[in-house]
Amino acid sequence: MAAAGSLRRAGWGLWRGRAVVRWQPCPLQRALQASAVLRSSSGGQQKEPFASSSQFELHPNDYQPEGEPRGPHPSCSGQGEQESEDCESEEQLQQRILSAALDFVPRLGWTAEAVAEGAKSLGLSVAAAGMFHSDGSDLVLHFVSQCNTRLAELLQQEQKQVQLGEAQRKPVDQFLRDAVEARLRMLIPYIEQWPQALSILLLPHNVPASLNLLTSMIDDILHYAGDQATDFNWYTRRAVLTAIYSTSELVMLQDSSQDFQDTWHFLESRVADAMSMSSTAEQVQSTGAAVVQGLMGAAVTMRNLVGLNQRR
Amino acid sequence: INKAVVDRIIRVDHAGEYGANRIYAGQMAVLGRSSVGPIIQQMWNQEKAHLKKFNELMVAYRVRPTVLLPFWNVAGFVLGAGSALLGKKGAMACTVAVEESISNHYNNQIRTLVEEDPEKYKELLQTIKQFRDDELEHHDIGLEHDAEAAPLYSVLKTAIQLGCKAAIFLSERI
Repeated sequence: MAAAGSLRRAGWGLWRGRAVVRWQPCPLQRALQASAVLRSSSGGQQKEPFASSSQFELHPNDYQPEGEPRGPHPSCSGQGEQESEDCESEEQLQQRILSAALDFVPRLGWTAEAVAEGAKSLGLSVAAAGMFHSDGSDLVLHFVSQCNTRLAELLQQEQKQVQLGEAQRKPVDQFLRDAVEARLRMLIPYIEQWPQALSILLLPHNVPASLNLLTSMIDDILHYAGDQATDFNWYTRRAVLTAIYSTSELVMLQDSSQDFQDTWHFLESRVADAMSMSSTAEQVQSTGAAVVQGLMGAAVTMRNLVGLNQRR
Repeated sequence: INKAVVDRIIRVDHAGEYGANRIYAGQMAVLGRSSVGPIIQQMWNQEKAHLKKFNELMVAYRVRPTVLLPFWNVAGFVLGAGSALLGKKGAMACTVAVEESISNHYNNQIRTLVEEDPEKYKELLQTIKQFRDDELEHHDIGLEHDAEAAPLYSVLKTAIQLGCKAAIFLSERI
């Protein structure tokens, strides 16, 4: 249990910072998996599936299918840049299990059962699910962080295209609309179980991590939208966009229209409101300044009439 | 680069330059038409250039500004105007106190960055060193203009420097 706890805490490190670890399976793992599958399916025919594996001999007789969850590999943490072929870090393994578990979420929900099924589908024991929290928190957080990474990559690609001149720079409201829509569309395969995921994200022990993920996602969107505010507007804009995103997400949960058209219309209206809000604020400010000037003029006039402005 | 360290440094420096701007604005509002007006205006222009640089750095390093900016806006102006109401020497005393605090603060940051990795932070170090030299110049200008002859100089200086320390502590974190 202590080991599971420490492994879980190692996983929290992923969600503390902004950088998201992306899942990168080691070539040898895939080779071993593939060879195991080939061995079982081709009934003893010994084929060498990859040309690149000529450097090591795959002897199907020697290969033991993994029945136990892999324990911590002390040699892995010391590898640094050179992640040697037969070494996969705990984090990478956890990422793989959670990503595989996502396939079972529509059927089993965001639960430890889905994680167990995910582990099983990778050829690991269902006890591997013991590495994670028992209420499916890790699965939800992994999914959210994966979506945020995909969104950041999408926005970065768009930015590159604009810089290379291949695409036009979008106006801010359209950019925000498209970014939020792209991010919300990632929920569509899991939309039936999303209310459960939201309630998990709101659990007290998950709130710091989920808040962190939400704020960094909103910050990414605004950064790529070209926000260069360095005053209090920085906070105002992020608060407004967070409200737009959260309300659109909730509308999406009970949207039954074709391809969620109602949600996108709602999103469009909210973004338009936000845009007009900033121009309204400017109008209020300029009106206020004009009123103050008017009052000052009236005061000076009064002083002139009464004779206070005369110098004797 | 160490994101956490750079984050703090840029946030607090941005807040500091913003506050310094407001202090000089307050002093100009009261003493703008006096004999020290041009000198304060010149120092104010340099602070404006500093603030502009930190605005650019803030966007480049994607640093969050401090929430207390509206508060420093008002507090800085009040401090500037208040010290100026004590007379020209009072304004100069305020300048001396603030610039001394800021120079020490920049020196601390330079030490931190050099301890981390002087090569990685070369540009940032260059900027901070340049700004520290500018602030020391302002400090010396303040002394030249009889800051020490201001009413309650030592009390004023201690109080202002305490306020600066508190502002630095809060802006780094919030």
